[in-house]
Amino acid sequence: MLVPLYAFLQDDTLGLVILVQDSDSMTAVVTNLQQAACMRVAPRAGMRVRYNGTLIAPERSVADAGMGALDRIDVVAGETS
Amino acid sequence: MSERDEWFDLARKLDWEFSYVDAHAVFPEDISGTPWLPHAAWQDWDEPYKTTYTEYVTQQSAKDAAVHAVRAAIGQVEDFQKLDPAWLNALKLHAATLPLAEFAAVVGNLRAARFGRDSAWRTTANFGALDEFRHTQIPLLIMHELVRWDRQFDWTHKFFHTNNWVAIAGRHLADELLLTANPIEFAVATNFVFETGFTNLQFVGLSAVAHAAGDRMFETMVKSIQTDEARHAQIGHPVLRTLMQHDPEYAQALVDKWFWRSWLFFAIVTGFAMDYLTPLQHRQQSFKEFMEEWVLDQFQRSLLDMGLERPWYWEQFIASLDWYHHMVYASAYTYRATTWFDFVLPGPDERAWLAQKYPHSWPSLEGRWERIEQRWQQSGPGVEWHSHGATPVGFCNLCQIVLCGGTPSHNTAETLFHGGRKYIFCSEPCLRIFSAEPERYASHLDVVMRILTGAAPANLLELLRYFGLDQDLWGKDVRGGNYPWLRTAPERS
Repeated sequence: MLVPLYAFLQDDTLGLVILVQDSDSMTAVVTNLQQAACMRVAPRAGMRVRYNGTLIAPERSVADAGMGALDRIDVVAGETS
Repeated sequence: MSERDEWFDLARKLDWEFSYVDAHAVFPEDISGTPWLPHAAWQDWDEPYKTTYTEYVTQQSAKDAAVHAVRAAIGQVEDFQKLDPAWLNALKLHAATLPLAEFAAVVGNLRAARFGRDSAWRTTANFGALDEFRHTQIPLLIMHELVRWDRQFDWTHKFFHTNNWVAIAGRHLADELLLTANPIEFAVATNFVFETGFTNLQFVGLSAVAHAAGDRMFETMVKSIQTDEARHAQIGHPVLRTLMQHDPEYAQALVDKWFWRSWLFFAIVTGFAMDYLTPLQHRQQSFKEFMEEWVLDQFQRSLLDMGLERPWYWEQFIASLDWYHHMVYASAYTYRATTWFDFVLPGPDERAWLAQKYPHSWPSLEGRWERIEQRWQQSGPGVEWHSHGATPVGFCNLCQIVLCGGTPSHNTAETLFHGGRKYIFCSEPCLRIFSAEPERYASHLDVVMRILTGAAPANLLELLRYFGLDQDLWGKDVRGGNYPWLRTAPERS
């Protein structure tokens, strides 16, 4: 199932709305957002998804993390909590 | 015939006790505004201009004649063709957002001219309505001449009739501020905050920028409009003074709400023009310097005079002077096809100037422009899409502007669950404004909700058509990425 998310990439200037599958891993979500913002922010390794204040493990899925339509996520450098 | 002073107040300020109907029926609270006070509370209402209708018509006629004379001399297509292409886009941005908003202000003034609680207030509001007709007609007249040369000028009239995202934001503001506000809220929001706080002074600064850019037509138009604004903005002070005596908490809430809402729109329209679209050699000061010199001191003095506090978010507002319009401009540059005007890619000299003017924020923004520069180097001139976004952007559910609050390292967006729906806001002030009156705002659909409910298309090309744009018209880089400095700049990896 497609899930629209408000997504904020660290170092970017605005929030985007990305469409992800509920089966997508956090790694795929990071790639999705980095691709969407690539004309302003060069993709880089080691980025993680933060949701409700918690860094989500890269292998967990959107559904498993409990993300719902129009939730906010942040994609931040891995060491940022 | 009587001398002017003998009859003037009989024409300007004449109130009486109603004997056939109750005053509540003449001035219903729903239309006249809250708090509903007996007329005795308003009877000292006064303003300094004290103009008669004859004097008004004579003065306005002379002002119109001066504008028409300048237009005849230097307001033709060939005159505009001599101006810098970047500046023309500052003109397109202002031309679109100004005249029909002024027309909405006609309605707000006419409501006050009927339902304002004192006759002198109603008289001044009547002149205000006539002023706003002028401010609608003059830019429509001047820019209409340019449509046959450049279709983007057609948005002078078309803008507010479209579903363009900027127009949705503009309507959301203008509908509440100008079309639907009762006379008390209109006086505080439009006359005191928007006009006294922003546009009256903005027009002074903008006319100076236009002068420097060699645009004498726009300079003349803006100066002419400013003289009207200075007069009818005076409606705000006496209304606010009475409001402060009877409901200071409400007065403060109105000022807090409308300063923030006005600021966001003002920052985009004027911030873009001053820091990006005015050619570097013609810039006299940065947008932040302009705000500090012309808006902040004056507005804080006005607040103090009225016994008001600075808005609760003042520190956040001061911080946003360094960031907000830069965040929106960089975002909008990479979504330029969603607008009706073209954008400038700031080059090394312009970025050095911005770094000097914004030492606190520019180092964090420089990387965004280096990345965009790199994308242009990869694609070469003329390939707009390589430096353009295709993913939908998020919009604030209050101001309807893109989610660009805060800084690149900390976006200030806030979320809210209300009435079974999720909402997102660019900032805490927008969240609080919404939360104070959710019934006023909750049912409005932003662009994202329009897409998700099928009211607007999700595909970007179709969405651009929904925004009222086509390939010839939509915004592009003003030089198509063909900048001499871009060819000689070191290739970025």
